[in-house]
Amino acid sequence: MGSKTVLIVDDSLTVRQQVSLTLKAAGYNIIEACNGREGIEVVRSGAPIAMVICDVNMPVANGLEFLETIKGDAPAPPVPVVMLTTDGSPELIARAKRAGAKGWIVKPFQSDLLLSAVRRIAGEAGL
Amino acid sequence: MAGKSNEERLEEILATCLEELFKEAGLVAQRVSGEHEPLNLRESLTAFCGFGSTDFRASITVLGSADLFSRLHPLPATVTPRDLADWACEFVNQTVGRYRNRLLAYNVSLALGVPQSALAENVRLSSSLRNSHNPIRFSIDGVMLDVWLELNIRPGFQLADNPADERAGALREGSLLFF
Repeated sequence: MGSKTVLIVDDSLTVRQQVSLTLKAAGYNIIEACNGREGIEVVRSGAPIAMVICDVNMPVANGLEFLETIKGDAPAPPVPVVMLTTDGSPELIARAKRAGAKGWIVKPFQSDLLLSAVRRIAGEAGL
Repeated sequence: MAGKSNEERLEEILATCLEELFKEAGLVAQRVSGEHEPLNLRESLTAFCGFGSTDFRASITVLGSADLFSRLHPLPATVTPRDLADWACEFVNQTVGRYRNRLLAYNVSLALGVPQSALAENVRLSSSLRNSHNPIRFSIDGVMLDVWLELNIRPGFQLADNPADERAGALREGSLLFF
């Protein structure tokens, strides 16, 4: 469990700190990115990422652009992504699902809920 | 909300969103009614987010003391001034996001901008569109927080009288959905 790495893509330092504290306490390694473009660079770098937790509304490249780009890149099944956002609109959730997202969490989040999602998704990733 | 204008109703919905956020943060916030004098704050923070739909464009501006944002912060033991500025943005982001979710039930779909924050000193919020200066004001343990909703509504727009069931399917805050 401790060797698995989670990429957090969020423009909010506060949210990255919240997620990071929760997951580090559970033994995960963390990589952070401040927007979708940085997130794409991390994924393309080949870092051994078990899963991604990604905001939607971000500058430079938003979370759905991130999701659609890495899906287009991947020759194999892409790294699993869970969206973490304030937005609960069915339209955006459907778009994320079509782009291959594995889940959707609406902020503010409870730490135990986030951890259960990461354990389920990162556990399936098999890294 | 019968007999109220679009602006008043949209402001009431926003105030409810804020009350929910404070409650979830474990804070007791009381809405302060009446005409408000400007907050006389030093070392305060302000955060702003624009948004719009096909029927109106709008913005939310939040103004409060650094101390208050520190108390609202989800990780209060670790905050630095940089953290507070970032948290002010995230607070506005969560407010506007919740507002967007609520308005879906009124068949209003908002596109959101990216929040910004700034240090503020002796700032007075006022409207370029309305002849009034009366923000939504909350008292949190006696410390005031002002929230200003600026609205530019398309002529002829009428907010639906009642929300549709369960916010027209918007996923509730704190929810997790697996695909």
